[in-house]
Amino acid sequence: MSIQLIRQAFNGNRPPPKMWRSHELKEYYDVVIIGGGAHGLACAYYLAKEHGITDVAVLEKSYIGAGGSGRNTAIIRSNYLTSEGVRFYNQSVKLYEQLSDELNFNVMFSQRGHLTLAHTDGGVNTMRRRAEVNQIEGVDSRLIFPDDIKSLCPYLDVSDHPRYPILAALYHPPGGIIRHDAVVWGYAHQADVRGVHIHQNTEVTGIKVQDGKVTGVETTRGHIKTGTVLNATAGWASTITAMVGVKLPLTTIPLQACVTEPLKPFLDVVVVSGSLHVYISQTDRGELVMGASVDPFSSYSMAGSLAFLEGIAGHVLELFPSLSHVRILRQWAGICEMPPDYSPIMGFTPVNGFLIDVGWGTYGFKASPIAGKTLAELIATGKPPILIVPFRLSRFEENDLVGEKGAAAVGH
Amino acid sequence: MRDGVSPHFAIIYQVSGAVIGELMQTEQDTLKTTPNRLHPKQGEVIDRSTTIRFTFDGVKYIAHPGDTVASALTAAGVKVLSRSFKYHRPRGLLCCAGHCPNCLVQIGDEPNVRACMRSVEAGMDVRAQNVWPSLNRDLLSLTQLGSRLMPVGFYYKTFIRPKKLWPLYEHTLRHAAGLGEVDIDTPSGKFDKQYLHTDVVVVGSGPAGISAALGAAEGGAQVLLFDENSALGGHLRFTVPLHSSLPSQVSKDLPELLEALSQQPNVTAFTDTSVLGWYQDNWLCAAKGARLFKIRTKSVVVATGAYETPLIFDNNDLPGVMLGSAAQRLLHLFGVLPGRQVVIVTANEDGWDVAADLQALGVNVAAIVDEREHNACSSPYRDGLANIGVPVFYRHTIREAIGSSAVSGAKIVRLDGRGEIAPATTQVLQCDLIVTSMGWTPATELLYMAGGKSEYSADRAETVPVSTPPGIYVAGRAAGIHAVDSQITEAWQAGSNAATFAGFGEFDELAAQASDISEPRRTSERVCVPGKKKRFVCYCEDVTDEDVETAIAEGYDSIELLKRYSTISMGPCQGAMCSMNTIHLCARANGRTVQETGTTTARPPIAPVTLGALAGQNVEPVQTTPIHQWHLDHGANMMVAGLWLRPNHYGDPAAEAVCVRKQGGLIDVSPLGKLQLTGPGVPKLLERIYTNQWHNLRVGRVRYGVMCNDEGVVLNDGVCAHLKDETWYMTTTSTGATAVFEWLQWWLQSGWGEGVHLTDLTDTYAAFNLAGPQSRTVLEKLTARNLANKAFPYMRIRSAKIADVPCQLLRIGFTGELAYEVHCPSGYALHVWEALMDVGRELGIAPFGLEAQRILRLEKGHIIVGQDTDAMSDPLSANMAWAVKLNKPDFLGKPSLMRISAEGPKQLLVGFKMVDPDVVPAEGLQVVAPEVDGRLKIIGWVTSSRFSPTLEEAIGLCWLPADLASQNGASFTIRMGGDLKAAHVHHGAFYDPSGERLRM
Repeated sequence: MSIQLIRQAFNGNRPPPKMWRSHELKEYYDVVIIGGGAHGLACAYYLAKEHGITDVAVLEKSYIGAGGSGRNTAIIRSNYLTSEGVRFYNQSVKLYEQLSDELNFNVMFSQRGHLTLAHTDGGVNTMRRRAEVNQIEGVDSRLIFPDDIKSLCPYLDVSDHPRYPILAALYHPPGGIIRHDAVVWGYAHQADVRGVHIHQNTEVTGIKVQDGKVTGVETTRGHIKTGTVLNATAGWASTITAMVGVKLPLTTIPLQACVTEPLKPFLDVVVVSGSLHVYISQTDRGELVMGASVDPFSSYSMAGSLAFLEGIAGHVLELFPSLSHVRILRQWAGICEMPPDYSPIMGFTPVNGFLIDVGWGTYGFKASPIAGKTLAELIATGKPPILIVPFRLSRFEENDLVGEKGAAAVGH
Repeated sequence: MRDGVSPHFAIIYQVSGAVIGELMQTEQDTLKTTPNRLHPKQGEVIDRSTTIRFTFDGVKYIAHPGDTVASALTAAGVKVLSRSFKYHRPRGLLCCAGHCPNCLVQIGDEPNVRACMRSVEAGMDVRAQNVWPSLNRDLLSLTQLGSRLMPVGFYYKTFIRPKKLWPLYEHTLRHAAGLGEVDIDTPSGKFDKQYLHTDVVVVGSGPAGISAALGAAEGGAQVLLFDENSALGGHLRFTVPLHSSLPSQVSKDLPELLEALSQQPNVTAFTDTSVLGWYQDNWLCAAKGARLFKIRTKSVVVATGAYETPLIFDNNDLPGVMLGSAAQRLLHLFGVLPGRQVVIVTANEDGWDVAADLQALGVNVAAIVDEREHNACSSPYRDGLANIGVPVFYRHTIREAIGSSAVSGAKIVRLDGRGEIAPATTQVLQCDLIVTSMGWTPATELLYMAGGKSEYSADRAETVPVSTPPGIYVAGRAAGIHAVDSQITEAWQAGSNAATFAGFGEFDELAAQASDISEPRRTSERVCVPGKKKRFVCYCEDVTDEDVETAIAEGYDSIELLKRYSTISMGPCQGAMCSMNTIHLCARANGRTVQETGTTTARPPIAPVTLGALAGQNVEPVQTTPIHQWHLDHGANMMVAGLWLRPNHYGDPAAEAVCVRKQGGLIDVSPLGKLQLTGPGVPKLLERIYTNQWHNLRVGRVRYGVMCNDEGVVLNDGVCAHLKDETWYMTTTSTGATAVFEWLQWWLQSGWGEGVHLTDLTDTYAAFNLAGPQSRTVLEKLTARNLANKAFPYMRIRSAKIADVPCQLLRIGFTGELAYEVHCPSGYALHVWEALMDVGRELGIAPFGLEAQRILRLEKGHIIVGQDTDAMSDPLSANMAWAVKLNKPDFLGKPSLMRISAEGPKQLLVGFKMVDPDVVPAEGLQVVAPEVDGRLKIIGWVTSSRFSPTLEEAIGLCWLPADLASQNGASFTIRMGGDLKAAHVHHGAFYDPSGERLRM
């Protein structure tokens, strides 16, 4: 039992400590981070904690975690396809493992194991390819077959009756789920404690550039002078980047998800099927959280569609035929920006002082700690950490893409 | 205005004993009686002529057809129906309308059923959820003892250290949470879908909904009317409308409204049907049990009514604390007494209506507690109730519900001049029922989804619609109109406007303007009475007002953050019971107005909907070729290949492959994508779509082509034949057929469609590949066409009759042998196939499956797009540079390929052989190079591998760094399990590298 809770229980009418404070906008900040999601707040935290850079503003147009950070399906894993991807996400998983302790806030990382199902020969080959890459890079990941799948997940139909029978699965024991909002709040709190200013309801309307160098940021609450701006706005990254005249190779596409009513625990692993475009897990509260592949068309709409609900219901029942009575409680959508190679774009841009943390597609949340940490190092030292060098913007001109589609397209 | 003593009072109902007397005598020991059932009355929905039996937690109960599970249990005196999510507090009926979590039960294998909405069926096995060991003695309720240590969000602040104990904590948390259970043996069930097309949809069939439907139908529109309840009528089914000042042409009487509806052929009504959501372009979705309706309409009238808003006070969740409308539903629809002695807490005339109702039906009204002044009450029952001695406490409110598992009394307090609780004014009243009637939260989810907006009116303490998108209309309580006469007249106009919008009649600007709503305030701004015990804002998640204050003080001060941190409104009720109260509490804690505080986003589905209903029949189509049955009859081992089921082999794939090489074989390749392109624009399109040249392909010739996307990534490959002047015939990979069709459609519709007509013939033609040295001989026996090499050489197309069936023959082959692809009309497929087999059998021809084909093509070094290539593979790197003509003016992927060409590919797809010829490395294994520190560096991967029965050694394709791949014979290692196996690069085809056998 934490001291904090005991204190809270017996402190009478005294208000509990604030997680973060409100501030007036200062005239100048050393660093301005646009986007109060998990990435932006993590970067602010690591800037303050590891580099002593505390004169930092995080600008959020809505409330913290309003974008992708609060809309994703909270799956954490590192079983990617490329060495570059596996190394990067593996460091993220390692940071996540320590995060509750580090932030003194239980982010409820549940490393319950992650299954990616293969329904075709080709699927089996892809899973084997990933397992091999993962093992070589030191990540626990292996190909398993229906008997083992059944024992990990008894409700899954592993018979040969379904339209797309389950032939094998990539099993990734360290993968799991987390309380996504808690990650946002935990980082926000610890950044606030170290002096970072979190400005909610503060929308960026323009970025000032002089002689190829950033000089300030215009917001709905006034002007800020700064020489360093990080764009960590995920779904809106290309619009923010366009403010400095840089075009990014990104396509903006909605990604939808939904959740059921709470049920007693019966699903102990995360289950993903690329062929059936579905990923599903059961939260600690008992709800099933489910998502699918991105919408078929570009859009900024977060309304959600009926076609999504129908599709995902059919696919979930294909995998779990006993769930037909389970009720969907709500659906929602988030906005993703997809690069052509399904890998992020991180680091410098042609505009001096304007850095990007974008192209996070459908896989951004699981990278929050390592993205924040590496970008903080980049901002503090001016030198890109080795882990994010492969994700530089110039890779598109250098024909040096990091192809993660095979592991990131639906593989949450 | 009616007289204070309404006709209501003349009828005195008594609690029925006789109805169940008989049963009591015979099954007294085992069967629960129904002491709370009233004598029959008009308007009830139960059929008293028969009884049916069901069990609740193993105890037998009786019900009448028409009873809900909740009404039957209430009739039997059951008060506790569930336990709460966090503290496991006993919970009983609250809303009786399917809008709260208090009656969620497990029925058979179905979890989380709203007992107040589900009709009893004989033999139903109803069980309480999330209780241990039982509903009435739930030990998990001991968690309340530690509730001070479990404030809102407690789990974020504890179980942090030691880290290794977290999985154990999590296990405990998980098993304490959750509601119903999924039975692994639940059958798939029967579900279906229906499309509906209409002019006007009216959602909600209260007086407003019915009137709107009539108004729209009168204008000539086709109307669909939906209601989630089992009958039409809304609140008129269980309330007696007052304040009658209606114009004579409109009835306020439910029977008359229903009669008018039954005379109106343009209206189709759906009961038990929940409208789940509004989607773009008036695309609505509704569910009725196992059926999902998908509805396209021109306009919508939202007549969804309102949720009665609970009051927050100490122990406000105790069974026996009920909303006024819930009590009325029980009384009027089911003839069930919700209690014997009631305290009514109200701030409006609706509460007095309930009081009069309860009094008339035999409930002793212990007190009416009205927070208003005496003179603010204008209820017609005011004097009547006072005259018969009902105690009335004006300027009072409730402080606490007393009782442990059900209400046994109420503490009430006086309010001072400022509306605060006056000290030392507490009184205790004996009662077993506390009814609150404090006002209404308009059910505006659908309106918000459609883009409508409301504003909070402080005068009326309600939100009122201020803007609606074109074609969306609001009526009744959802629009803040409470008096039945106004509901009916306004809704009629709304319905009429909806019909006009849908194209019926002229739009009347004046009539379309909603008249001013000047109604007395119905809703109290007091949402919470402070106290000392637990006061629940959110019943689903056990969130109290103190939790809300704590969360806001901690910084979760916007309504969205508050929701996510406290989980308020995220439970099964989705905010129906708590959203307005939460906004009030949030506004107060922040010192802001309700309007400034805003609301959370309304998200579909409005009512929870089963996966089964959403999935429907869940038909994942299986495509089979026209000769599928032949394959089955001949022992084929079938495999899933995309949408298709195809023969993998007929017993021995290696032997099949050898047979093709030696004599010949026949494979069913009907799933190949087959597209016909006609028109003068085809060559130009092909030049843009494929990476190689097409304008110079003469009639009768076939060419192989590769398609790339903008990034230069290989999308598909296949051949395309020039049939005649403006007719071309394209084949695609089997699994990529749909994608290529869509890809071409995309470009045709995006400006490249001039002079091109595209037809998908994939299912129209069957296709078989006859391969092997004997194939010409076989075919010659079935056709008059000259098949000599000179007349019909490699990479040509010819029309020919095969076994009297007109076919197209393509002289191409994936196997590397002399081969003919026979494309024939699907209807003649079996005839042609059997003719080929009959003739071929004598010449040693046998059918072969996909596995043999994979072996054969690998021996030739042919790639399979999607297996040997992935989402990053370009044709220059994938050993297909010969099929890329960078000097063409333009084609899809050219800029990317130009860059790759200039810099040189980094990786190449290349053949390999194993040093140990018996070792076949599995597809997907990695090519590695040990680094100085002993770690392995990934430098490539195996895409295809087989043991070649012809060459009798392992062969394969893999990606390697370009410099390594370009050296024929260069060595490299493949990681297999713990070992590294040596392999070497092999350039060219493994079998018949010069390609002579193709051209025989």
